[in-house]
Amino acid sequence: MNNTPRVLNRILIGIVGITLLAIGVLLMLLVSVPAVATWWHGWAGGALSFWLGLFERTPFPGRQESWLWLVICLVLVVVLGLMVAWVAQQGKGRTNLLVAEEDPGGVPGNVAIGGGVAEQALRAALADRPDLTGVTVAAYAIRGEPALKIRVEPRQGVAPHTLAAEISALVEALDAVIGKRTPVLIRIGTGARSRFGRAERVH
Amino acid sequence: MSHDIRNTPVGSGPNDGAVPQSPPLGSGAAGMERILKRETHPSRAVVAMIAAVLVSVVCGYALLETAVRAVGQPPWLLDPLKAAERVVALPAGIPPLLLGVTGAVVTMAGLFFFLNAVLPGRRARHPFPDRRAAVVVDDEVIAAALARRVRVAANVTPEQVMVVVSQNRVMVNVRPTSGVPLRQDAVLEAVRRELQDMRPVPMPEVRIQVATAGVVGA
Repeated sequence: MNNTPRVLNRILIGIVGITLLAIGVLLMLLVSVPAVATWWHGWAGGALSFWLGLFERTPFPGRQESWLWLVICLVLVVVLGLMVAWVAQQGKGRTNLLVAEEDPGGVPGNVAIGGGVAEQALRAALADRPDLTGVTVAAYAIRGEPALKIRVEPRQGVAPHTLAAEISALVEALDAVIGKRTPVLIRIGTGARSRFGRAERVH
Repeated sequence: MSHDIRNTPVGSGPNDGAVPQSPPLGSGAAGMERILKRETHPSRAVVAMIAAVLVSVVCGYALLETAVRAVGQPPWLLDPLKAAERVVALPAGIPPLLLGVTGAVVTMAGLFFFLNAVLPGRRARHPFPDRRAAVVVDDEVIAAALARRVRVAANVTPEQVMVVVSQNRVMVNVRPTSGVPLRQDAVLEAVRRELQDMRPVPMPEVRIQVATAGVVGA
């Protein structure tokens, strides 16, 4: 539920994939089909001579080298920067504040409740349950609005619907404490401890 | 509207008349649909990072060689113009087998990225209806709970039961204890009832398979 740019990911991965596909198919055709090789010599040779002419027409004043090399350098630096920016977009969206509102009372100022409040409260409530091996609570910003993600890992064989109902009741109690209904996601999953640990037998 | 109210059995309705008997998925607040959709579909973050690193490495090397060329120094490994000439002359200058294998490998990599981008991709998870929160449960957890139910209903050990949960189907495999008859209908009914209590969306269809060979001494 984080803010990874999913559409952008699909588009960029698709572009990379199509490019690699085209290069790979061309290489295989060059080996296997002689007609493709002659076409490639003509087409790529023309493109290369065009670039060579361009390099000769754009020399540095007073030197032999073309300033086009610098332009290519710049373009590559920009592409590298975009790649770094793309990677930095993955998995972001965590937030620290669960509530940040102006206090309507007589005292001027704002009220802010950190995500740690929900985390500590839920962890404490679920701590002594023998049927859970792990609890993680994190706050995310969904379109600017804070939302809570509760991830629990039950032991094998625990009925997920009753567990969800019990956590849901805890969330409702938390609503009463905080005084605001934040969107909540309850994720019931498996981890290494729940998968290989002993199964839940007594219910 | 009045039709609905007339059909509601007296006494079993919720204390608040506005609350429906079966709450919709992800009720509670706006933005829940988005959260549910994001939780049941992959984000492709790992594939995106692989692609970004790949493009960065290629661009980084190209940048190094072009920068060296731009300041008029000798190339590190390969002069860009020489490289271009070699590419133009391609079927010549390299063993055909090596070129073909390289092409095949690059094609496979391209196919991997392309399919990752195009295929819808569903995670093995089911959303559950809940009054307050959006609930998403791994299929593995559902399978473990159903397997426990089957084990109790069929009176067998955990090793004799295997349950596989997919998007639209629950496959129950039971190997009965040798000499002890297994009532298939009772097991199927137990699984169905458990699933109806869970109410996953979409509701999978249950199939049961009882092995013909029993387990000795279980």
